[in-house]
Amino acid sequence: MDAVVGESQITYDARGLVEVDDTVLGVAVVKDGKATIDASELTTRKINLELRSLVYEQGIEDVTILNPGGKHSLGVGILTRCKMTFEGSLGYFACGVIDGPEVTINGRVGWSACENMMSGVVVINGNAGSLTGAAIRGGDLVIKGRVGARTGIDQKGGTIIITGAAGSNTGFMMQRGRQLILGDVGPHLGDSMYDGIIYVGGKVKSLGADCVPGEMTEEDNEFVARKMGLYDLGTPPELQKFVCGKKLYNYDNLEPSERKLVL
Amino acid sequence: MSNDHSVSNPRKDPEKIVSIDSEYLTGKRFAYQEDISEIDGIDLQESTPGGDINWLEDITLLEEEGTPAVFDRYSNSFLKIYYDIPAGREDEVARKVLIKHLQSGNSYGTVLKERYAKFAQPELGPWVKGSRIVGDNYVPPVLEGWEAPEGH
Repeated sequence: MDAVVGESQITYDARGLVEVDDTVLGVAVVKDGKATIDASELTTRKINLELRSLVYEQGIEDVTILNPGGKHSLGVGILTRCKMTFEGSLGYFACGVIDGPEVTINGRVGWSACENMMSGVVVINGNAGSLTGAAIRGGDLVIKGRVGARTGIDQKGGTIIITGAAGSNTGFMMQRGRQLILGDVGPHLGDSMYDGIIYVGGKVKSLGADCVPGEMTEEDNEFVARKMGLYDLGTPPELQKFVCGKKLYNYDNLEPSERKLVL
Repeated sequence: MSNDHSVSNPRKDPEKIVSIDSEYLTGKRFAYQEDISEIDGIDLQESTPGGDINWLEDITLLEEEGTPAVFDRYSNSFLKIYYDIPAGREDEVARKVLIKHLQSGNSYGTVLKERYAKFAQPELGPWVKGSRIVGDNYVPPVLEGWEAPEGH
């Protein structure tokens, strides 16, 4: 295999943003309709090109990526229904801007995992960095571990589930959707949130501006039980619910065009 | 789709508008906006990834200009529903209308992909299996009479 190894051997565009060569190497091993990519000798772009070729052009619906080696931006922009499994840790912006895939990551992830996710399911069997699920619009993002700061910042929909603890400013400027945090949460939970619901099973260090306690309803209990059952998370603990106090901002006062930005 | 209806736009560009609906963008109204039986075959669970209805949990029946409507996030527009919705089925009908709209390729965001998508992607995204790939041959538009500055 003539795959490029090492940063010094990659040719980038003038801005240093992207590897110029967009040749699909075709190194995946396909067997019984499932594909396996050994990413150890591949660059980020080659891995993503291989992935897209498999799920878009070859109709493969189940891809396993071995040895991702903590590379950044893997599995981004996949806009179709498929299954992807990463056997190892990923770097920044893992699986961002996806719409439809069901992803399992058997490792840790860096900053901004699943940012701008539209739909699908991502299960991370490990810890995640800050900004996890930033601006997520839909789908389920499950982190079986701890997360850093500002989880679900600008969240516009979907569900983020965290089995461990979450850092500061969790749910910052959240606009819709739900977060279920089974562990403790750092300071400024739900700061400046517009809408949405945050459930917390552990202790909350402090609430952010306009984040107030809410009352658990039958609908909330059904939702939590269903999601925890779906991801084998056991029996729901006693939860606290937090919502927007609507003192800072209210949709009724927004221009219709502004309102659409958060729908 | 064959059973759509052209509609006349009461508003013309560049008139400022604050409400943009699907009919304004596409110039058409679709059968599933007028006949509930058009959405009979839609299976919400089947249409979405994961073990439940996934992203559709955030989709509910809303109202636009006094008419029941569902919001299409892929075109940032409302899709109005013109029939009486049975009580208790409001969100279900809204979700099915939206899925039908997306699977039919009638969302304005989908319509724009053919011309503007810069990266290869399935035309009908995750809603229809095996849809054709668009955006794999993007050519940037060229402004007539414009020449790149020397050195670019």
